Amino acid sequence: MNAPVEAVTEPSGAAKSSTLGPILRGLVRHRTLAALVVVSIVCTAYGLNGDATALITLDNALILVLFSVATNLLLGYGGMASFGQACFFGLGAYLVALGWANLHAPFWLMLVAAPAVGALVATAVGAVALRLQQWFFSLVTLAFSQLFYTIVEKAYVITQGDNGVFGPMIPRALTEPITGFEFVLGVTAICLVLLLAVVRSPFGLTLTAIRDNRRRVQTLGINVYRHQVLAFAISGAFCSVAGALFTVPNQAAYPQLFDWNQSGLPVIASVLGGVFLFEGPVLGAFILQYGRDLLIQHTSHWQLAFGLLLLAIVLLAPDGLLGAAYRLIGRSARRFLSSGVWRRAGWR
Amino acid sequence: MSHILLVLLASLSTASTLFLVASGITLLFGALRVVNIAHGSFVMYGAYILASAAAAYGGEGWQLWVAILAVPLIVGVLGSGMEISVMRRTYGKEHLSQLLATFAMFYIFADLALILWGGSYKSVPVPQGLGGSVVIADLAFPVYSLFVIGVTIAVAVALAALLRFTQFGWQIRAAVEDPELLAVTGVHVRRLGTIVFGLAAGLAGLAGVLIAPVQTIAPGLDASVLVAGFIVAVVGGLGSISGAAVGALVIGLGETLGALWVPALESVMIYVLMIAMLSIRPSGLLGRS
Repeated sequence: MNAPVEAVTEPSGAAKSSTLGPILRGLVRHRTLAALVVVSIVCTAYGLNGDATALITLDNALILVLFSVATNLLLGYGGMASFGQACFFGLGAYLVALGWANLHAPFWLMLVAAPAVGALVATAVGAVALRLQQWFFSLVTLAFSQLFYTIVEKAYVITQGDNGVFGPMIPRALTEPITGFEFVLGVTAICLVLLLAVVRSPFGLTLTAIRDNRRRVQTLGINVYRHQVLAFAISGAFCSVAGALFTVPNQAAYPQLFDWNQSGLPVIASVLGGVFLFEGPVLGAFILQYGRDLLIQHTSHWQLAFGLLLLAIVLLAPDGLLGAAYRLIGRSARRFLSSGVWRRAGWR
Repeated sequence: MSHILLVLLASLSTASTLFLVASGITLLFGALRVVNIAHGSFVMYGAYILASAAAAYGGEGWQLWVAILAVPLIVGVLGSGMEISVMRRTYGKEHLSQLLATFAMFYIFADLALILWGGSYKSVPVPQGLGGSVVIADLAFPVYSLFVIGVTIAVAVALAALLRFTQFGWQIRAAVEDPELLAVTGVHVRRLGTIVFGLAAGLAGLAGVLIAPVQTIAPGLDASVLVAGFIVAVVGGLGSISGAAVGALVIGLGETLGALWVPALESVMIYVLMIAMLSIRPSGLLGRS
């Protein structure tokens, strides 16, 4: 993913203007960060003027954003399509819910525990699932999703099974829609910055290199398996945080949070927005959340619509809506694509 | 506790349908290097279509028997249609595009099933002549389980013969090795892909037909069947039909016997077996590493 950054550091037309040049160049160079700041400002402006219902939808959209970006660390940057990230999302939600119901543990403690437990469980799952590559890795993650769902559904004594856990599991301050929204926005923003730091770090670049040419990286003496398990653990930790945040607007945890439908959401969001861009899943998550709400008003079959949309994007614009937009708009973005990153990605 | 022979018969019957699902998965991967996430959907459609036929004609008449024969063909045509309309556009792209395309189809099939059949549970009666049980040495063996096992053995033998001895079979094996060279020799490789896809979907449809009378048919069947069939394919060794058979036996027996010994693990036994297999030998029992 460093390719686009490299490409836009070359002198562009805008650089000729003496004062505007550096600013514009800086904006293009840090467009991911700029996009995130703009999204945060728009969210804040919209959120502070919205009513309670609008705020809860926005909360859920932001949670889906974090869930999708964390999933895309595997999907886009690592070339590992995991259909089991709901394992960790559900885990985070259930940590808060069961901590409240069974242990009377404070919300804050469980929120801090969520990424740690998520990373731990993800390490175990990843260590098994990554024994297989490509297609089969994906199916094993799907199997884990089913396994977690089954366990939570059957362990009635602890989890209350199919009924789920409902109740005032979050501090009273957060039940206030505005405060809850500010909290969700804050945590999401912090997590996104951390994830951005991960993908821009040497570790993130190695991960992308593994995606592009696994064998060559292996020849360089890098332990591919260990890198991928670590990526899986990091993704699991952030998915778990997203799950813990889920309890803020919803005050609930139920077994469906573990199923393949839930696992599919971040994958759809990432593909919609564009898996090769950090901000792609952000756009995708907003489209998915608001598009689904819009569709549900007219039809209960939103999955069909999103299935068809997903199919169209996979077949026609594999770099997603944002990728396609950048391709059409920016010269530098065009250069990035013509450099063949998409084709070279290859996921071999 | 029921007699051990009855337990064995039940697990063999489970293993039979698992084999039909897993052999389709393995056939597609072996011949086309495609992993179809919508494979479980074909099983679900087979069961649903049979349920519709049963609802229309009842379980008594000969019509149900016609439906039992026709449904795998219908599902096979559905599979071929999916290959022509969707999968062909993904060949030559990265495996992730292909995987996401079948994942999209999984979503589409699931929601279409909801539109066509609704969310309520459906059931199919045991076809006329297959109800009841045979008594051998004071043990009552259900006829339907024997029927399922018999049909599966016949299909397995036919499939093995098809792949080993016929022109179609060597064409499939050649397509894996070198599709271009095969095309040069005058074989219509694209049509071969369509036929293989249809065959795999037909096997899934047959599995759906066979499980319909013994299982409730409801949304979510697609995912659970897919995962079970895939675990069988992994345990047996990917891309090998005999591996699918061995894997089905191991999972079928392991699931029931394991549940007898450790009842608490009944619902997660299959996953425990998968995790154990992947930890010890990721290439599966008969797979090449």
